[in-house]
Amino acid sequence: MTATAGLRRAPEIAVSAHRHIDLLTRIVILMVLALLLVFILLPLFWMLKSSFQTNFEVQAIPPVWLPENPSVEPYDLAGQLIPLWRYIANSLYVSTAAAVIAAALSAMAAYVLARFRFPGATLILALILLTQLIPSVTRIFPVYFLIQDMGLLNTFSGMIFAYVGFSIPFAVLLLRGYFQTSCPPELEEAAMMDGCTYFGAFWRVILPVSLPGIAAVTVFTFLNAWNDFLWASLLLSSGEMKTIQVGIGEFATESGVSNYQNAFMAACVISTLPALILFFFVQRWLVGGLTAGAVKT
Amino acid sequence: MTILRRTALAVVLGSTAAIAAGSATAQDAVEFWTMTYGDQLNWKGEVEALIDGFTEETGIEVRHEIVPWGSAFQTYLTVSQGGAAPDCADMYWLHSFSAIGGDQHGPMPLNEYRDEYFPTLEEDFYAGALQDVLWQDDFYGIPWRGDIRAFIYRTDFAEEAGIDGPPQTWDEIVEDAKALTVRDENGNVERWGFAYGTATNVVSWLLPYYWQAGGTMMTDDGQTATIDNEAMRTALTFMRDLMWEHQVVNPDSLEAGYDPQPLFVNGQLAMVGSAEQAWGVELDRDYPQLEGQWAMATSPAGPENSDSFSGAGYFGVLRGSDHVEECVQLIEYMSRDENMLRLAQAAGTVSTKPEVMASEFWSDRPWKIVVGEALQDAHTSQHPAPAWSAIATPEPGGILYDLMYDVIVLQEDMDASIAEAQERMQAELDRS
Amino acid sequence: MNEKNIFCYLMVAPALLVTALLGIYPMLASMVMSFQSYDLLAGQRDTIEWVGFENYRTILADDRFLQTISQTVIFTILAVGIVVSMGLFLAQVVNAKFRGRAVVRTLIFSPWFVPPVVASAIWMWLLQTERSPINAVLRDLGWTSGNIRFLTDPETWGPFSIPMMSVVAVRVWNGLPFVIIFLLAGLQSIPKSLYEAADMDGAGILQKFRHVTLPMLRPVLMVLLALLFMNGFGHFEMNYIMTQGGPRNLTNVLAVWSYQEGFAFFRFDNAAAASGIILAMTSVICAIYLRLQYKDDLR
Repeated sequence: MTATAGLRRAPEIAVSAHRHIDLLTRIVILMVLALLLVFILLPLFWMLKSSFQTNFEVQAIPPVWLPENPSVEPYDLAGQLIPLWRYIANSLYVSTAAAVIAAALSAMAAYVLARFRFPGATLILALILLTQLIPSVTRIFPVYFLIQDMGLLNTFSGMIFAYVGFSIPFAVLLLRGYFQTSCPPELEEAAMMDGCTYFGAFWRVILPVSLPGIAAVTVFTFLNAWNDFLWASLLLSSGEMKTIQVGIGEFATESGVSNYQNAFMAACVISTLPALILFFFVQRWLVGGLTAGAVKT
Repeated sequence: MTILRRTALAVVLGSTAAIAAGSATAQDAVEFWTMTYGDQLNWKGEVEALIDGFTEETGIEVRHEIVPWGSAFQTYLTVSQGGAAPDCADMYWLHSFSAIGGDQHGPMPLNEYRDEYFPTLEEDFYAGALQDVLWQDDFYGIPWRGDIRAFIYRTDFAEEAGIDGPPQTWDEIVEDAKALTVRDENGNVERWGFAYGTATNVVSWLLPYYWQAGGTMMTDDGQTATIDNEAMRTALTFMRDLMWEHQVVNPDSLEAGYDPQPLFVNGQLAMVGSAEQAWGVELDRDYPQLEGQWAMATSPAGPENSDSFSGAGYFGVLRGSDHVEECVQLIEYMSRDENMLRLAQAAGTVSTKPEVMASEFWSDRPWKIVVGEALQDAHTSQHPAPAWSAIATPEPGGILYDLMYDVIVLQEDMDASIAEAQERMQAELDRS
Repeated sequence: MNEKNIFCYLMVAPALLVTALLGIYPMLASMVMSFQSYDLLAGQRDTIEWVGFENYRTILADDRFLQTISQTVIFTILAVGIVVSMGLFLAQVVNAKFRGRAVVRTLIFSPWFVPPVVASAIWMWLLQTERSPINAVLRDLGWTSGNIRFLTDPETWGPFSIPMMSVVAVRVWNGLPFVIIFLLAGLQSIPKSLYEAADMDGAGILQKFRHVTLPMLRPVLMVLLALLFMNGFGHFEMNYIMTQGGPRNLTNVLAVWSYQEGFAFFRFDNAAAASGIILAMTSVICAIYLRLQYKDDLR
């Protein structure tokens, strides 16, 4: 109840944080916001409500907006169809490892690319940018056979390696922009004066201040890995190593439509929950980190 | 802050260690892949129960993995090019994957095992089904699932409209479809009288009408395209007129995302010309409240015959397997009558063996009897050319798809479109 | 070599190595393939022939391909334009302090937790002519008399059509969280004192946005736009799953074309050439970005 109340009042307070806003602007902003929220939430609502309906109700025309007899049976079915929790654990492991490694490697690279001039820096930046230039569909075969040659097919390491590789260019470019805007160079200059090494300045001064940016990149990499279907389905064939998205893929039949639409939706709901919960906590810290950094300076 | 940093470090180190230790240990079991069919809940359990029976009989361990349909094609395409392959698998498109794999990867011929393990192959299986496991005189495995399509219609609406029984000819389809199409006062269609087919593969809708008009796609050697003829004109005219002249078919039918099943069960669609037998299973299971309101029937006759679409999937062995002998044993085990029946029941697909179709399971519902009868009209959808899957790909840019779209939806000049398709198809056949 | 340079190389090395293997190598492989004859069905993988620009000539001779190129540009401009404007608005909202902000933020970001494959499936359902709940509501309200054919209406207005707008809307939906989170991170790096100073000068909400927010967001916006454009030109998933490029090629984009050429017709040479065209287009964006970046660095 409190959550709903907060939600309903929220936009109003949001706008009133600015002092010079007249009523008309406020109403316009609220209406736009309401429309956008409907747009954003409609598919999620549809997924959620379908996961509590019978198949018959799910398929009904005209559509039934609310379950007539809400039932958790679809969730039960989903659990019988695939080992949901096992797959979620696999996904969590792969995505977390990929996110942390990718964020660490790209923060290191982005920092020096943003801050220092050294021979080849522009070339390196150009190379990293270059990888963003072709569509990912053309990567399928070269990457698959590369991973096979490395002996990493059907291993978590292969998956993690692939996800780290796909995320790094994006992450480096974004973090570089972030380092340029949000960390004043005076910070590490001061640290170096105090006798820090280059790495020491990066590790003790820059990293803590840049946590919001790094957190954002970590979240991004995590979700990239979490949401991936294609690579997970190609690189892992072993049942006990499948990720949740591949598991959900097992619901599809030859014609592409699951006979258990409601259970399919239930599995989708469950698969979004871990990421959603994680985000709920991270986003607080994501904001808190920056304000803390700003206060310190 | 320090705690955070330490945790991060611990996670990085921890995962690196896990990676180092994580490389999969080699296992000696036979690896067997299938897609899922019918009731997904049943499928996995039934296959694994069959495998248990096999292990008990032979002592051979088998590891079963599900290949999701969403990535099955990419998976087998990589397998055919030397990607990580199972020992044996549930496969399709033998001709294409054999051509892609050449003599190094992909499906493996099993000629040397044929006499020992499958001595009565020709008597045991439908001839049409065997066409899908033979390629250039090589024998590749056992067809285990059939896909036969027939006519399906809503008996309740037919009764309302005073129609007794399903249409027997193309002309009757037109007549009945007109009677069954319902529009509201604004001209919006509330119920379409007819749909060409149920499968998401729209190209598969054209095939039966073309055959029924007396056409064939190519010569028996797979070298020459034979679609520029009167039969193609007849079939396409029939389909086009249903959409535009009689206005009984939804003009959006050929677009991606068109799904006839919800329309059929919600009373917005009355008849489907080429319906997969799987609809019988699904309607029985998911829509018991519709019992008695629908029925299947054999395909209404075209100008020449009433050929019905049929296809098959097979169990085969992959090149590079270290367990060929064990795989053949597994396939032989699966192909026994009692096991084929269990597979057909779990998958909800017709069997490739007449013996199995004669079982009680295939006669306990009216629609199943119809499906059995439809098998008499079965016409294989496989064609003896590796390029067939590329020619028949059901998306814009595909030769037959473009032909259907141009003639049926856009109503472009028929002779020119067919001539162009013939030329493009010949070029495709010349590729390999 | 001095200490600074060694430090720099050490810091860049791991990321560069991984990128070289998984980014640069596959790209080179694909570009090489676009100058070769590579037909899976022809079974000639051992004797690969160099054919020069033949593959490019083949695809550029196809009218449908040319239409697809211009459509890819329109799609990307629309999707990027809308997603960034919406993102700027929503980022400001979730940046403000209010009770229940965590909930609103999580809700606004929630599309991110739905994989594109699943999202496309749900949206297809929401947009399927007969089954669409949107159509049901519109008809109940009496706003429309018939169903809107969101993904299938072939009518066009210049280069625009209903299916195109529908697919753009879904791509915007999918891309929104990503845009918001980076704009949010950018917004938070703007010193509050700047807004306070603007308040003193009596600036209105729009003036503050124009004179404080936008200039301060410039570096983040530039990277974001460059990435969105480059990614947009190569976008594949949602267009492919929802419409396969139809109806009448109205929603076809280059990456879908490339995928079909490779995976439906087994012509990986033509697919690679289509990727080459995408590469040329993204290179233009890349060059513009680097040039602007260079100018900024000089300042």
